[in-house]
Amino acid sequence: MTKLKTVLLASVLIAFGSAAAAADKPIYGVLMKTLANPFWGAMEQGVKAGAKAAGVEYYLQAVESDQAAEPQLNTCNTMLEKKPAVMITAAINSTILLPCLKRANEMKIPVVDLDNNLDPKVTKDAGVNIAFHIGSNNETAGAQGADYVAKKVGKDAKGPVLVIEGLSGNITGQRRAKGFAEELKKVAPGLEVVASLPGDWDRGKAANITNDILTKYPDLKVIFAANDGMALGAVETVFAANKGKQVTIVGVDGNSDAVKSIKAGRLTASVAQLPYLVGKQAVENVKKVVAGGKVDEVIYVPTLVLTKDVLEKGTEPMLKYVK
Amino acid sequence: MTAIDTAGRGDAWRRLQFFFDSKVHVRLESLIVLALLCVAMTVLSPYFLSVSNFLNILLATSTIGVLAIGATLILSSAGLDLSLGSVLGLSGVAGAYLSVELEWPWFMAIIGALGSGALAGYINGQLITRTRIPAFIVTLGMLGIARGVALIIAPNGGAIYGLPDIVVYLGQGRPFGVPTPVVILVLTALIAHYVLAYSRFGMHTLAMGDNEGAARATGIPVERLRRELYAISGLLAGLAGLIFMARVNAGDPTAGYTYELTAITATIIGGTSLFGGRGSILGALVGALIMGVLQNGLNLLAVQSYYQQIAIGAVLIIAVYIDQLQSERERKS
Repeated sequence: MTKLKTVLLASVLIAFGSAAAAADKPIYGVLMKTLANPFWGAMEQGVKAGAKAAGVEYYLQAVESDQAAEPQLNTCNTMLEKKPAVMITAAINSTILLPCLKRANEMKIPVVDLDNNLDPKVTKDAGVNIAFHIGSNNETAGAQGADYVAKKVGKDAKGPVLVIEGLSGNITGQRRAKGFAEELKKVAPGLEVVASLPGDWDRGKAANITNDILTKYPDLKVIFAANDGMALGAVETVFAANKGKQVTIVGVDGNSDAVKSIKAGRLTASVAQLPYLVGKQAVENVKKVVAGGKVDEVIYVPTLVLTKDVLEKGTEPMLKYVK
Repeated sequence: MTAIDTAGRGDAWRRLQFFFDSKVHVRLESLIVLALLCVAMTVLSPYFLSVSNFLNILLATSTIGVLAIGATLILSSAGLDLSLGSVLGLSGVAGAYLSVELEWPWFMAIIGALGSGALAGYINGQLITRTRIPAFIVTLGMLGIARGVALIIAPNGGAIYGLPDIVVYLGQGRPFGVPTPVVILVLTALIAHYVLAYSRFGMHTLAMGDNEGAARATGIPVERLRRELYAISGLLAGLAGLIFMARVNAGDPTAGYTYELTAITATIIGGTSLFGGRGSILGALVGALIMGVLQNGLNLLAVQSYYQQIAIGAVLIIAVYIDQLQSERERKS
């Protein structure tokens, strides 16, 4: 027992010691949603590269899942105790971190909205000052998916389309689905969205939905899923039903298993977000802000449609940011 | 109501109830809820009533169904396993890791998935019986541990994609037109049903769930039985993980998130007591099918997501309420 106490005491002392040492040098606090997703893994790599290039230190925290909203608020508050020079946060939803960010404002710590999870209108109403919002435009990503579909199957094509949304009520999934549906209406009016259903970011659920919709529409032409995991679930169902040639399937994210599937000729395309670039540019812009410079209020990092062609040619300059 | 209470009809109804309860081991009420739901969906959607759609529903129910079998065994013994969903995720990743990342032979995907599931369940059972920590806490701890290990094994927390063809067949194949997961589910359910309803192991399980002290007094090796049950529950979660992995052709560390709750719900709809002593494998399957039919119907009708959640919640409450009414009447008579 005494041994245990000594160990505990020692670790507490070490923890305090390191906190005190860290306080000497300005460090950037980075709060992500979760690392349980390659998207955030790539973003972390970008932050790391950006920090290295800018010559700054950072420390990174995340919570167990991208639905653990309250734990994220608690983590955010804890991070403020370390008095970081900046807070770069990817909020789980548009309101949960506001109390913490407000406190950061009071402590004169600039706040950055990583991956555009905050609504500028909401933050202004709440009196929270955000240095800048950075990330991809999810509606544009959806629209790019629609543009690609129109190019692939032809703008005069006719047939049913299935949209698999993200978690019910999640803004990212909603924006992607909305961007896709609205653009599709413009560029290929003959393609009709016959169902837009919640896949809850769950591969298995997306596979089930695809099965159900194939029952009702055996001539299904296009599937758009709000992320790659769900798109890949749909791919497996479509190929198991021997309809791989008939259905064009587009996901969003551009993660590594999607890239593999595209190369294998299964998934048709994925609108790649470039989280690496988002992370890198976030740190670069923060440095400007800290130095007293001005940056745009909302910075959009472009998205890139990955297809078998694009991947095999390898000439697209932005490909190097696909991690 | 009054029609049922008139003597002659009431008797026929009771006899029918008794028949289903004692011979089929499924509560008549759950079957009626399922039938009503099917009738409603048939009326609402012309695509509902077909063999291929029925197979779809069974396929969609396969993972939850296998988990619900594990949940039924555990709940019958007055235990609880909250780690089912996480262990499902872990076993898929473990299987995919061995066969894809390490490039071991295909059968290692199966052994890895089933083995890691059984191991997690074995650890649950050991902790519960040796340390006397409540099952709720132990399996809640395992819920976190299994998920964490799955995320660590998977590179960057992403999915491991591209399994050997034979393994994928377990999820996507259709021997004689029936999806393989459905075959696996039916076989597993039949075995588990026999075990729980007719074997000594099953009798002991229910006796332990009903009154642990009495079971111990009659010489049932309560502790050993409990360890075996949790290991079996873990093995079944591993089997569900194998099916999930094969269906989506990937070991996904986020697979099965909150599935334990769906599985336990299906089990309770099917007439298994949350407090032990009463359990039905076929009932759990009916419960899982009620949820599967509902989800399938809502998809065919393209119901918007917020309304889907309301519909699912409402049907759960109604299904258990009907069951409850019946138990109440039995107690009064």
